[in-house]
Amino acid sequence: MTALEPVSLGPPMNSVVFESVHKIFRQRGFFFLRQRGAETHALKGISLTVRAGEVLGLLGPNGSGKSTTLKLISTVLLPNAGVVLVQGSDTQRHGQVVRRNVGFALASERSFFPRLTVRENLEFFAALENVGRRDVSDRIEWVLSCVSLNDVSGKQVVKLSSGMYQRMGIARALVKRPAIVLLDEPTRSLDAAAADELWRLILNLSGTGITVLLATHNFQEATAICDRVAMLKQGELMAVEKPRDFAAEELREFYFEMTRDAAPEKFRLGVPA
Amino acid sequence: MIGEKIIAVLKKDAITAIRYRNGFVLSALAQVAQLATFYYLARAVGPQFRPEGMPYFLFLLIGTGFYTFLLSGTHSFLKTIQESQQTGTLEVLLTTATPAAVLVSLGALSAFGEGLLQFVVYIGAGIFLFAPALHVNVAGCLLAFGFSILSAFAIGLFAAGLQISMHKGSTVLWLLGSGAWLMSGTMFPVAALPRGVQIISYFIPFTHSLAAMRLSLLAGNFAAIAQEVEILAVFALFLVPAGVIFFSSMVRQARQNGTLSFY
Repeated sequence: MTALEPVSLGPPMNSVVFESVHKIFRQRGFFFLRQRGAETHALKGISLTVRAGEVLGLLGPNGSGKSTTLKLISTVLLPNAGVVLVQGSDTQRHGQVVRRNVGFALASERSFFPRLTVRENLEFFAALENVGRRDVSDRIEWVLSCVSLNDVSGKQVVKLSSGMYQRMGIARALVKRPAIVLLDEPTRSLDAAAADELWRLILNLSGTGITVLLATHNFQEATAICDRVAMLKQGELMAVEKPRDFAAEELREFYFEMTRDAAPEKFRLGVPA
Repeated sequence: MIGEKIIAVLKKDAITAIRYRNGFVLSALAQVAQLATFYYLARAVGPQFRPEGMPYFLFLLIGTGFYTFLLSGTHSFLKTIQESQQTGTLEVLLTTATPAAVLVSLGALSAFGEGLLQFVVYIGAGIFLFAPALHVNVAGCLLAFGFSILSAFAIGLFAAGLQISMHKGSTVLWLLGSGAWLMSGTMFPVAALPRGVQIISYFIPFTHSLAAMRLSLLAGNFAAIAQEVEILAVFALFLVPAGVIFFSSMVRQARQNGTLSFY
Protein backbone atom coordinates (compact mmCIF):
# COMPACT_ATOMS: atom_id res chain seq x y z
CA MET A 1 0.00 0.00 0.00
CA THR A 2 1.31 3.42 -0.89
CA ALA A 3 1.41 6.33 1.51
CA LEU A 4 -0.89 9.16 0.48
CA GLU A 5 -0.46 12.87 0.90
CA PRO A 6 -3.32 14.81 2.48
CA VAL A 7 -5.68 16.51 0.06
CA SER A 8 -6.16 20.22 0.56
CA LEU A 9 -9.88 20.80 0.91
CA GLY A 10 -9.85 24.30 2.37
CA PRO A 11 -12.10 25.04 5.34
CA PRO A 12 -14.16 22.15 6.79
CA MET A 13 -17.32 21.64 4.79
CA ASN A 14 -19.85 19.06 3.79
CA SER A 15 -18.61 17.14 0.78
CA VAL A 16 -22.02 16.09 -0.46
CA VAL A 17 -25.47 17.35 0.39
CA PHE A 18 -28.75 15.86 -0.87
CA GLU A 19 -31.83 18.01 -0.26
CA SER A 20 -35.17 16.28 -0.92
CA VAL A 21 -33.82 14.62 -4.06
CA HIS A 22 -36.16 12.76 -6.40
CA LYS A 23 -35.05 10.75 -9.40
CA ILE A 24 -37.60 9.39 -11.83
CA PHE A 25 -36.78 7.27 -14.89
CA ARG A 26 -39.36 7.64 -17.61
CA GLN A 27 -40.08 5.37 -20.54
CA ARG A 28 -38.22 6.48 -23.66
CA GLY A 29 -40.13 7.73 -26.70
CA PHE A 30 -41.44 10.96 -28.10
CA PHE A 31 -44.48 12.63 -26.59
CA PHE A 32 -47.54 10.55 -27.59
CA LEU A 33 -45.40 7.43 -28.14
CA ARG A 34 -44.36 7.43 -24.47
CA GLN A 35 -46.29 4.91 -22.39
CA ARG A 36 -48.29 6.53 -19.65
CA GLY A 37 -47.35 5.41 -16.18
CA ALA A 38 -44.20 3.69 -17.44
CA GLU A 39 -41.85 5.33 -14.97
CA THR A 40 -39.69 4.26 -12.06
CA HIS A 41 -39.33 6.45 -9.00
CA ALA A 42 -35.74 5.51 -8.17
CA LEU A 43 -35.16 8.03 -5.36
CA LYS A 44 -37.99 9.44 -3.27
CA GLY A 45 -37.09 12.70 -1.57
CA ILE A 46 -33.73 11.73 -0.11
CA SER A 47 -31.94 14.17 2.19
CA LEU A 48 -28.42 13.29 3.28
CA THR A 49 -25.19 15.01 4.25
CA VAL A 50 -21.72 13.53 3.84
CA ARG A 51 -18.82 15.15 5.67
CA ALA A 52 -15.36 15.70 4.18
CA GLY A 53 -13.06 12.72 4.76
CA GLU A 54 -15.92 10.44 5.72
CA VAL A 55 -16.48 6.91 4.38
CA LEU A 56 -20.19 6.54 3.79
CA GLY A 57 -21.68 3.21 2.79
CA LEU A 58 -24.90 2.94 0.81
CA LEU A 59 -26.49 -0.31 1.84
CA GLY A 60 -29.43 -2.01 0.19
CA PRO A 61 -30.56 -4.68 -2.25
CA ASN A 62 -30.71 -4.26 -6.03
CA GLY A 63 -33.10 -1.50 -7.04
CA SER A 64 -32.89 0.33 -3.71
CA GLY A 65 -31.25 3.42 -5.29
CA LYS A 66 -27.56 3.00 -4.37
CA SER A 67 -26.13 3.36 -7.89
CA THR A 68 -28.61 6.13 -8.71
CA THR A 69 -27.34 8.06 -5.68
CA LEU A 70 -23.73 7.72 -6.87
CA LYS A 71 -24.66 8.68 -10.43
CA LEU A 72 -26.40 11.82 -9.18
CA ILE A 73 -23.22 12.88 -7.39
CA SER A 74 -21.08 12.19 -10.46
CA THR A 75 -23.56 14.13 -12.71
CA VAL A 76 -24.16 11.09 -14.93
CA LEU A 77 -27.73 11.74 -13.80
CA LEU A 78 -29.43 14.99 -12.81
CA PRO A 79 -32.24 15.11 -10.23
CA ASN A 80 -35.88 15.66 -11.25
CA ALA A 81 -36.50 17.56 -8.03
CA GLY A 82 -34.37 18.66 -5.10
CA VAL A 83 -30.74 19.73 -4.99
CA VAL A 84 -27.44 17.82 -5.00
CA LEU A 85 -24.49 19.89 -3.80
CA VAL A 86 -20.95 18.58 -4.24
CA GLN A 87 -18.22 20.60 -2.50
CA GLY A 88 -20.77 23.41 -2.41
CA SER A 89 -21.51 23.31 -6.16
CA ASP A 90 -24.95 22.47 -7.52
CA THR A 91 -24.75 19.52 -9.94
CA GLN A 92 -27.50 21.05 -12.10
CA ARG A 93 -25.79 24.38 -12.59
CA HIS A 94 -22.08 23.69 -12.12
CA GLY A 95 -21.63 20.18 -13.49
CA GLN A 96 -18.17 20.86 -14.88
CA VAL A 97 -16.90 22.08 -11.49
CA VAL A 98 -18.38 19.01 -9.82
CA ARG A 99 -16.78 16.63 -12.31
CA ARG A 100 -13.33 18.03 -11.52
CA ASN A 101 -13.76 16.98 -7.89
CA VAL A 102 -15.36 13.56 -8.24
CA GLY A 103 -13.79 10.24 -9.26
CA PHE A 104 -16.27 7.47 -10.09
CA ALA A 105 -15.50 3.74 -10.34
CA LEU A 106 -18.51 2.23 -12.08
CA ALA A 107 -19.66 -1.33 -11.51
CA SER A 108 -19.38 -1.92 -15.29
CA GLU A 109 -16.34 -3.88 -16.47
CA ARG A 110 -16.61 -2.78 -20.10
CA SER A 111 -15.66 0.83 -19.75
CA PHE A 112 -12.06 0.65 -21.04
CA PHE A 113 -10.40 0.54 -24.45
CA PRO A 114 -9.70 -3.19 -24.76
CA ARG A 115 -6.73 -3.07 -27.16
CA LEU A 116 -4.85 -0.50 -25.10
CA THR A 117 -2.67 -1.56 -22.19
CA VAL A 118 -3.51 -0.71 -18.58
CA ARG A 119 -0.99 2.14 -18.63
CA GLU A 120 -2.15 3.47 -22.02
CA ASN A 121 -5.75 3.53 -20.81
CA LEU A 122 -4.78 5.41 -17.65
CA GLU A 123 -2.64 7.87 -19.64
CA PHE A 124 -5.61 8.61 -21.89
CA PHE A 125 -7.98 9.24 -18.99
CA ALA A 126 -5.33 11.26 -17.12
CA ALA A 127 -5.12 13.64 -20.11
CA LEU A 128 -8.91 14.07 -20.10
CA GLU A 129 -8.75 14.77 -16.37
CA ASN A 130 -6.30 17.66 -16.92
CA VAL A 131 -3.33 15.87 -15.34
CA GLY A 132 -0.28 17.74 -16.67
CA ARG A 133 2.23 15.89 -18.86
CA ARG A 134 4.96 16.26 -16.25
CA ASP A 135 2.83 14.63 -13.56
CA VAL A 136 1.30 11.81 -15.62
CA SER A 137 4.01 9.24 -15.11
CA ASP A 138 4.23 9.68 -11.33
CA ARG A 139 0.47 9.81 -11.01
CA ILE A 140 0.01 6.56 -12.90
CA GLU A 141 2.70 4.83 -10.86
CA TRP A 142 0.89 6.00 -7.75
CA VAL A 143 -2.57 4.76 -8.76
CA LEU A 144 -1.15 1.46 -10.05
CA SER A 145 0.56 0.85 -6.73
CA CYS A 146 -2.61 1.87 -4.86
CA VAL A 147 -4.52 -0.96 -6.54
CA SER A 148 -1.53 -3.34 -6.94
CA LEU A 149 -1.59 -3.45 -10.73
CA ASN A 150 2.05 -2.46 -11.39
CA ASP A 151 2.90 -5.93 -12.63
CA VAL A 152 0.26 -5.88 -15.38
CA SER A 153 0.64 -2.26 -16.48
CA GLY A 154 1.92 -3.35 -19.92
CA LYS A 155 -0.85 -5.86 -20.49
CA GLN A 156 -3.73 -5.17 -22.90
CA VAL A 157 -6.95 -4.62 -20.98
CA VAL A 158 -8.76 -7.31 -22.96
CA LYS A 159 -6.54 -9.88 -21.21
CA LEU A 160 -7.34 -8.81 -17.63
CA SER A 161 -9.43 -10.79 -15.14
CA SER A 162 -12.67 -9.42 -13.65
CA GLY A 163 -10.94 -8.50 -10.41
CA MET A 164 -8.23 -6.61 -12.29
CA TYR A 165 -10.88 -4.70 -14.26
CA GLN A 166 -12.48 -3.74 -10.98
CA ARG A 167 -9.19 -2.46 -9.57
CA MET A 168 -8.44 -0.64 -12.80
CA GLY A 169 -11.73 1.20 -12.50
CA ILE A 170 -10.66 2.38 -9.06
CA ALA A 171 -7.25 3.41 -10.43
CA ARG A 172 -8.99 5.50 -13.07
CA ALA A 173 -11.21 7.14 -10.46
CA LEU A 174 -8.11 8.12 -8.46
CA VAL A 175 -5.99 9.40 -11.33
CA LYS A 176 -7.25 12.98 -10.97
CA ARG A 177 -6.69 12.98 -7.18
CA PRO A 178 -10.37 13.74 -6.54
CA ALA A 179 -11.78 15.17 -3.33
CA ILE A 180 -14.61 12.62 -3.50
CA VAL A 181 -14.38 9.01 -4.67
CA LEU A 182 -17.49 7.04 -5.61
CA LEU A 183 -17.21 3.25 -5.62
CA ASP A 184 -20.04 1.10 -6.93
CA GLU A 185 -19.72 -2.35 -5.33
CA PRO A 186 -15.91 -2.14 -5.39
CA THR A 187 -15.22 -5.62 -3.99
CA ARG A 188 -17.80 -7.47 -6.09
CA SER A 189 -15.28 -9.40 -8.19
CA LEU A 190 -12.39 -9.45 -5.74
CA ASP A 191 -11.08 -12.36 -3.71
CA ALA A 192 -10.75 -12.00 0.07
CA ALA A 193 -7.12 -10.85 0.02
CA ALA A 194 -7.72 -8.25 -2.71
CA ALA A 195 -10.88 -7.03 -0.94
CA ASP A 196 -8.94 -6.65 2.30
CA GLU A 197 -6.27 -4.66 0.46
CA LEU A 198 -8.93 -2.43 -1.08
CA TRP A 199 -10.50 -1.79 2.31
CA ARG A 200 -7.12 -0.61 3.60
CA LEU A 201 -6.79 1.67 0.58
CA ILE A 202 -10.22 3.18 1.27
CA LEU A 203 -9.32 3.84 4.90
CA ASN A 204 -6.02 5.32 3.75
CA LEU A 205 -7.84 7.64 1.31
CA SER A 206 -10.23 8.71 4.03
CA GLY A 207 -7.29 9.42 6.33
CA THR A 208 -5.96 11.95 3.82
CA GLY A 209 -9.23 13.88 3.71
CA ILE A 210 -10.76 12.24 0.65
CA THR A 211 -14.47 11.51 1.01
CA VAL A 212 -15.49 8.01 -0.06
CA LEU A 213 -19.01 6.86 -0.88
CA LEU A 214 -19.45 3.21 -1.65
CA ALA A 215 -22.47 1.21 -2.64
CA THR A 216 -22.40 -2.25 -1.14
CA HIS A 217 -24.43 -5.35 -0.35
CA ASN A 218 -21.84 -6.52 2.10
CA PHE A 219 -22.52 -6.00 5.82
CA GLN A 220 -19.00 -7.08 6.72
CA GLU A 221 -17.59 -4.42 4.39
CA ALA A 222 -19.90 -1.83 5.90
CA THR A 223 -18.84 -2.57 9.47
CA ALA A 224 -15.15 -2.84 8.55
CA ILE A 225 -14.60 0.46 6.76
CA CYS A 226 -17.63 2.77 6.85
CA ASP A 227 -17.95 5.65 9.29
CA ARG A 228 -21.69 5.64 8.61
CA VAL A 229 -24.07 3.61 6.47
CA ALA A 230 -27.15 4.96 4.74
CA MET A 231 -29.74 2.20 4.52
CA LEU A 232 -31.92 2.42 1.44
CA LYS A 233 -35.17 0.67 0.64
CA GLN A 234 -36.93 1.10 -2.72
CA GLY A 235 -35.59 4.61 -3.19
CA GLU A 236 -36.21 5.75 0.38
CA LEU A 237 -33.60 6.47 3.02
CA MET A 238 -34.58 4.37 6.03
CA ALA A 239 -31.78 5.17 8.46
CA VAL A 240 -28.21 6.40 8.76
CA GLU A 241 -26.21 4.45 11.34
CA LYS A 242 -22.65 4.12 12.60
CA PRO A 243 -21.85 0.52 11.71
CA ARG A 244 -18.91 0.26 14.09
CA ASP A 245 -21.48 0.25 16.91
CA PHE A 246 -22.67 -3.09 15.50
CA ALA A 247 -21.26 -6.49 14.70
CA ALA A 248 -21.86 -7.39 11.06
CA GLU A 249 -24.57 -9.87 12.04
CA GLU A 250 -26.31 -7.27 14.21
CA LEU A 251 -26.19 -4.76 11.39
CA ARG A 252 -27.77 -7.25 9.06
CA GLU A 253 -30.56 -7.99 11.53
CA PHE A 254 -31.07 -4.28 12.06
CA TYR A 255 -31.28 -3.72 8.30
CA PHE A 256 -33.82 -6.49 7.79
CA GLU A 257 -35.88 -5.26 10.70
CA MET A 258 -35.83 -1.81 9.14
CA THR A 259 -36.72 -2.90 5.64
CA ARG A 260 -38.93 -5.88 6.59
CA ASP A 261 -40.71 -7.09 3.45
CA ALA A 262 -38.84 -4.80 1.05
CA ALA A 263 -35.60 -6.82 0.99
CA PRO A 264 -35.99 -9.86 -1.24
CA GLU A 265 -35.46 -13.31 0.25
CA LYS A 266 -32.48 -13.92 -2.04
CA PHE A 267 -30.82 -10.81 -0.63
CA ARG A 268 -31.44 -11.96 2.95
CA LEU A 269 -29.99 -15.41 2.35
CA GLY A 270 -27.21 -14.55 -0.07
CA VAL A 271 -25.54 -11.59 1.54
CA PRO A 272 -22.57 -12.44 3.74
CA ALA A 273 -22.50 -11.01 7.24
CA MET B 1 -3.96 21.47 -21.79
CA ILE B 2 -6.03 20.99 -24.97
CA GLY B 3 -2.80 20.10 -26.82
CA GLU B 4 -2.15 17.26 -24.37
CA LYS B 5 -5.71 16.01 -24.87
CA ILE B 6 -5.32 16.08 -28.65
CA ILE B 7 -2.07 14.10 -28.39
CA ALA B 8 -3.70 11.58 -26.02
CA VAL B 9 -6.67 11.01 -28.35
CA LEU B 10 -4.51 10.68 -31.48
CA LYS B 11 -2.18 8.28 -29.66
CA LYS B 12 -5.11 6.14 -28.48
CA ASP B 13 -6.60 5.99 -31.99
CA ALA B 14 -3.25 5.26 -33.63
CA ILE B 15 -2.46 2.42 -31.21
CA THR B 16 -5.95 0.97 -31.67
CA ALA B 17 -5.64 1.15 -35.49
CA ILE B 18 -2.23 -0.54 -35.43
CA ARG B 19 -3.46 -3.30 -33.12
CA TYR B 20 -6.43 -3.92 -35.42
CA ARG B 21 -4.00 -3.88 -38.36
CA ASN B 22 -6.11 -6.03 -40.72
CA GLY B 23 -8.82 -3.36 -40.89
CA PHE B 24 -6.15 -0.72 -41.44
CA VAL B 25 -4.70 -2.56 -44.47
CA LEU B 26 -8.14 -3.36 -45.94
CA SER B 27 -9.28 0.27 -45.81
CA ALA B 28 -6.08 1.33 -47.65
CA LEU B 29 -6.78 -1.27 -50.35
CA ALA B 30 -10.39 0.00 -50.62
CA GLN B 31 -9.07 3.50 -51.40
CA VAL B 32 -6.87 2.21 -54.20
CA ALA B 33 -9.85 0.32 -55.66
CA GLN B 34 -12.00 3.46 -55.51
CA LEU B 35 -9.33 5.47 -57.28
CA ALA B 36 -9.14 2.88 -60.05
CA THR B 37 -12.97 2.92 -60.36
CA PHE B 38 -12.98 6.70 -60.90
CA TYR B 39 -10.21 6.43 -63.49
CA TYR B 40 -12.02 3.81 -65.57
CA LEU B 41 -15.39 5.57 -65.12
CA ALA B 42 -13.85 8.77 -66.51
CA ARG B 43 -12.32 6.80 -69.40
CA ALA B 44 -15.69 5.20 -70.17
CA VAL B 45 -17.42 8.60 -70.17
CA GLY B 46 -14.77 9.93 -72.54
CA PRO B 47 -12.64 13.12 -72.76
CA GLN B 48 -15.40 15.18 -74.38
CA PHE B 49 -17.30 15.44 -71.07
CA ARG B 50 -15.66 18.34 -69.19
CA PRO B 51 -17.95 19.46 -66.32
CA GLU B 52 -17.21 23.05 -65.23
CA GLY B 53 -14.37 23.08 -67.77
CA MET B 54 -12.20 20.37 -66.20
CA PRO B 55 -11.44 16.72 -67.03
CA TYR B 56 -14.10 14.44 -65.56
CA PHE B 57 -11.50 12.38 -63.64
CA LEU B 58 -10.34 15.52 -61.81
CA PHE B 59 -13.94 16.60 -61.23
CA LEU B 60 -14.66 13.21 -59.65
CA LEU B 61 -11.46 13.13 -57.59
CA ILE B 62 -11.96 16.54 -56.05
CA GLY B 63 -15.71 16.07 -55.56
CA THR B 64 -15.59 12.60 -54.12
CA GLY B 65 -12.34 13.07 -52.21
CA PHE B 66 -13.40 16.27 -50.49
CA TYR B 67 -16.98 15.10 -49.92
CA THR B 68 -15.74 11.84 -48.38
CA PHE B 69 -13.35 13.80 -46.20
CA LEU B 70 -16.14 16.03 -44.91
CA LEU B 71 -18.72 13.28 -44.52
CA SER B 72 -16.38 10.85 -42.76
CA GLY B 73 -15.42 13.67 -40.37
CA THR B 74 -19.09 14.37 -39.72
CA HIS B 75 -19.83 10.68 -39.28
CA SER B 76 -16.99 10.27 -36.81
CA PHE B 77 -18.82 12.43 -34.23
CA LEU B 78 -21.69 9.99 -34.38
CA LYS B 79 -19.33 7.02 -34.36
CA THR B 80 -17.57 8.32 -31.26
CA ILE B 81 -20.88 8.39 -29.38
CA GLN B 82 -22.07 5.03 -30.74
CA GLU B 83 -18.83 3.25 -29.87
CA SER B 84 -18.75 4.80 -26.41
CA GLN B 85 -22.32 3.66 -25.81
CA GLN B 86 -21.53 0.13 -26.98
CA THR B 87 -18.25 -0.22 -25.09
CA GLY B 88 -19.67 1.38 -21.93
CA THR B 89 -17.15 4.24 -21.91
CA LEU B 90 -19.66 7.05 -22.51
CA GLU B 91 -20.73 7.51 -18.89
CA VAL B 92 -17.11 7.43 -17.75
CA LEU B 93 -16.00 9.91 -20.41
CA LEU B 94 -18.80 12.27 -19.44
CA THR B 95 -17.69 12.25 -15.79
CA THR B 96 -14.21 13.51 -16.71
CA ALA B 97 -13.10 17.12 -16.42
CA THR B 98 -13.37 17.58 -20.22
CA PRO B 99 -16.66 19.11 -21.46
CA ALA B 100 -18.87 16.83 -23.57
CA ALA B 101 -18.68 18.92 -26.77
CA VAL B 102 -14.87 19.01 -26.54
CA LEU B 103 -14.76 15.25 -25.93
CA VAL B 104 -16.80 14.38 -28.98
CA SER B 105 -14.84 16.83 -31.12
CA LEU B 106 -11.56 15.28 -29.99
CA GLY B 107 -12.99 11.89 -30.92
CA ALA B 108 -13.46 13.08 -34.51
CA LEU B 109 -9.86 14.26 -34.97
CA SER B 110 -8.44 10.97 -36.21
CA ALA B 111 -11.24 10.52 -38.73
CA PHE B 112 -10.57 14.00 -40.11
CA GLY B 113 -6.86 13.14 -40.29
CA GLU B 114 -7.56 9.89 -42.10
CA GLY B 115 -9.96 11.65 -44.50
CA LEU B 116 -7.37 14.34 -45.17
CA LEU B 117 -4.78 11.71 -46.01
CA GLN B 118 -7.21 10.09 -48.45
CA PHE B 119 -7.96 13.47 -50.05
CA VAL B 120 -4.24 14.20 -50.43
CA VAL B 121 -3.77 10.79 -52.11
CA TYR B 122 -6.61 11.61 -54.52
CA ILE B 123 -5.19 15.03 -55.34
CA GLY B 124 -1.76 13.45 -55.70
CA ALA B 125 -3.23 11.07 -58.28
CA GLY B 126 -4.81 14.05 -60.04
CA ILE B 127 -1.49 15.92 -60.14
CA PHE B 128 0.31 12.80 -61.36
CA LEU B 129 -2.11 12.29 -64.24
CA PHE B 130 -3.15 15.89 -65.03
CA ALA B 131 -0.29 18.06 -63.80
CA PRO B 132 -0.73 20.78 -66.46
CA ALA B 133 -4.37 21.30 -65.48
CA LEU B 134 -3.71 22.09 -61.79
CA HIS B 135 -2.88 25.69 -60.82
CA VAL B 136 -3.59 25.80 -57.14
CA ASN B 137 -4.88 28.94 -55.39
CA VAL B 138 -3.41 28.14 -51.98
CA ALA B 139 -5.28 30.84 -50.04
CA GLY B 140 -8.59 29.81 -51.58
CA CYS B 141 -7.87 26.16 -50.78
CA LEU B 142 -7.03 26.88 -47.16
CA LEU B 143 -10.08 29.10 -46.62
CA ALA B 144 -12.43 26.61 -48.31
CA PHE B 145 -10.85 23.84 -46.26
CA GLY B 146 -11.11 25.70 -42.93
CA PHE B 147 -14.71 26.86 -43.27
CA SER B 148 -15.80 23.49 -44.66
CA ILE B 149 -14.31 21.74 -41.63
CA LEU B 150 -16.22 24.10 -39.34
CA SER B 151 -19.50 23.27 -41.09
CA ALA B 152 -18.72 19.53 -40.96
CA PHE B 153 -17.86 19.90 -37.27
CA ALA B 154 -21.23 21.57 -36.60
CA ILE B 155 -23.22 18.97 -38.55
CA GLY B 156 -21.27 16.27 -36.67
CA LEU B 157 -22.36 17.77 -33.36
CA PHE B 158 -26.00 17.71 -34.55
CA ALA B 159 -25.63 14.04 -35.52
CA ALA B 160 -24.00 13.17 -32.18
CA GLY B 161 -26.80 14.99 -30.34
CA LEU B 162 -29.41 13.03 -32.28
CA GLN B 163 -27.62 9.78 -31.44
CA ILE B 164 -27.75 10.63 -27.75
CA SER B 165 -31.39 11.73 -27.80
CA MET B 166 -33.06 9.26 -30.16
CA HIS B 167 -30.34 6.58 -30.62
CA LYS B 168 -30.86 6.59 -34.40
CA GLY B 169 -28.39 9.26 -35.42
CA SER B 170 -26.84 6.99 -38.05
CA THR B 171 -30.17 6.67 -39.89
CA VAL B 172 -30.62 10.43 -39.98
CA LEU B 173 -27.03 10.99 -41.07
CA TRP B 174 -27.32 8.31 -43.77
CA LEU B 175 -30.42 10.08 -45.11
CA LEU B 176 -28.76 13.50 -45.02
CA GLY B 177 -25.51 12.10 -46.44
CA SER B 178 -27.28 10.44 -49.36
CA GLY B 179 -29.24 13.61 -50.07
CA ALA B 180 -26.10 15.73 -49.96
CA TRP B 181 -24.25 13.19 -52.15
CA LEU B 182 -26.96 13.62 -54.77
CA MET B 183 -27.36 17.39 -54.52
CA SER B 184 -23.96 18.87 -53.69
CA GLY B 185 -22.28 18.18 -57.04
CA THR B 186 -20.10 15.27 -55.99
CA MET B 187 -20.21 13.20 -59.18
CA PHE B 188 -21.91 15.57 -61.63
CA PRO B 189 -22.46 19.35 -61.78
CA VAL B 190 -25.34 20.81 -59.75
CA ALA B 191 -26.54 22.47 -62.98
CA ALA B 192 -27.62 19.01 -64.22
CA LEU B 193 -30.27 18.81 -61.47
CA PRO B 194 -33.87 20.12 -61.82
CA ARG B 195 -34.26 23.79 -60.90
CA GLY B 196 -36.10 23.07 -57.60
CA VAL B 197 -33.38 20.68 -56.43
CA GLN B 198 -30.70 23.19 -57.37
CA ILE B 199 -32.30 25.67 -54.96
CA ILE B 200 -32.20 23.09 -52.16
CA SER B 201 -28.58 22.28 -52.97
CA TYR B 202 -27.70 25.94 -52.48
CA PHE B 203 -28.57 25.54 -48.77
CA ILE B 204 -26.23 22.56 -48.29
CA PRO B 205 -22.81 23.75 -47.08
CA PHE B 206 -21.01 20.89 -48.84
CA THR B 207 -22.20 22.21 -52.24
CA HIS B 208 -20.18 25.36 -51.62
CA SER B 209 -17.29 23.38 -50.14
CA LEU B 210 -16.90 21.36 -53.35
CA ALA B 211 -17.37 24.38 -55.58
CA ALA B 212 -14.79 26.43 -53.65
CA MET B 213 -12.29 23.57 -53.58
CA ARG B 214 -12.63 22.86 -57.33
CA LEU B 215 -12.25 26.54 -58.18
CA SER B 216 -9.23 26.87 -55.88
CA LEU B 217 -7.47 23.77 -57.18
CA LEU B 218 -7.98 24.77 -60.81
CA ALA B 219 -7.15 28.47 -60.43
CA GLY B 220 -10.70 29.59 -60.94
CA ASN B 221 -11.91 33.17 -60.97
CA PHE B 222 -10.86 34.88 -57.70
CA ALA B 223 -14.26 36.59 -57.30
CA ALA B 224 -16.04 33.23 -57.71
CA ILE B 225 -13.78 31.61 -55.07
CA ALA B 226 -14.37 34.55 -52.70
CA GLN B 227 -18.14 34.27 -53.14
CA GLU B 228 -18.16 30.55 -52.26
CA VAL B 229 -15.85 31.13 -49.28
CA GLU B 230 -18.11 33.91 -47.99
CA ILE B 231 -21.15 31.62 -48.13
CA LEU B 232 -19.18 28.92 -46.28
CA ALA B 233 -18.18 31.47 -43.62
CA VAL B 234 -21.83 32.42 -43.08
CA PHE B 235 -22.79 28.74 -42.72
CA ALA B 236 -19.98 28.23 -40.18
CA LEU B 237 -20.97 31.33 -38.24
CA PHE B 238 -24.51 30.04 -37.68
CA LEU B 239 -23.99 26.29 -37.60
CA VAL B 240 -21.10 26.04 -35.11
CA PRO B 241 -22.79 27.74 -32.12
CA ALA B 242 -26.09 26.04 -33.00
CA GLY B 243 -24.36 22.63 -33.08
CA VAL B 244 -22.62 23.18 -29.73
CA ILE B 245 -25.87 24.35 -28.09
CA PHE B 246 -27.88 21.46 -29.57
CA PHE B 247 -25.36 18.80 -28.54
CA SER B 248 -24.92 20.18 -25.02
CA SER B 249 -28.68 20.35 -24.50
CA MET B 250 -29.12 16.75 -25.72
CA VAL B 251 -26.44 15.55 -23.28
CA ARG B 252 -28.12 17.46 -20.47
CA GLN B 253 -31.50 15.98 -21.39
CA ALA B 254 -29.98 12.46 -21.38
CA ARG B 255 -28.50 13.09 -17.93
CA GLN B 256 -31.96 14.19 -16.82
CA ASN B 257 -33.70 11.16 -18.34
CA GLY B 258 -31.01 8.65 -17.35
CA THR B 259 -30.55 7.55 -20.96
CA LEU B 260 -26.88 8.44 -21.52
CA SER B 261 -25.76 4.87 -22.03
CA PHE B 262 -28.85 3.69 -23.96
CA TYR B 263 -28.33 2.71 -27.60
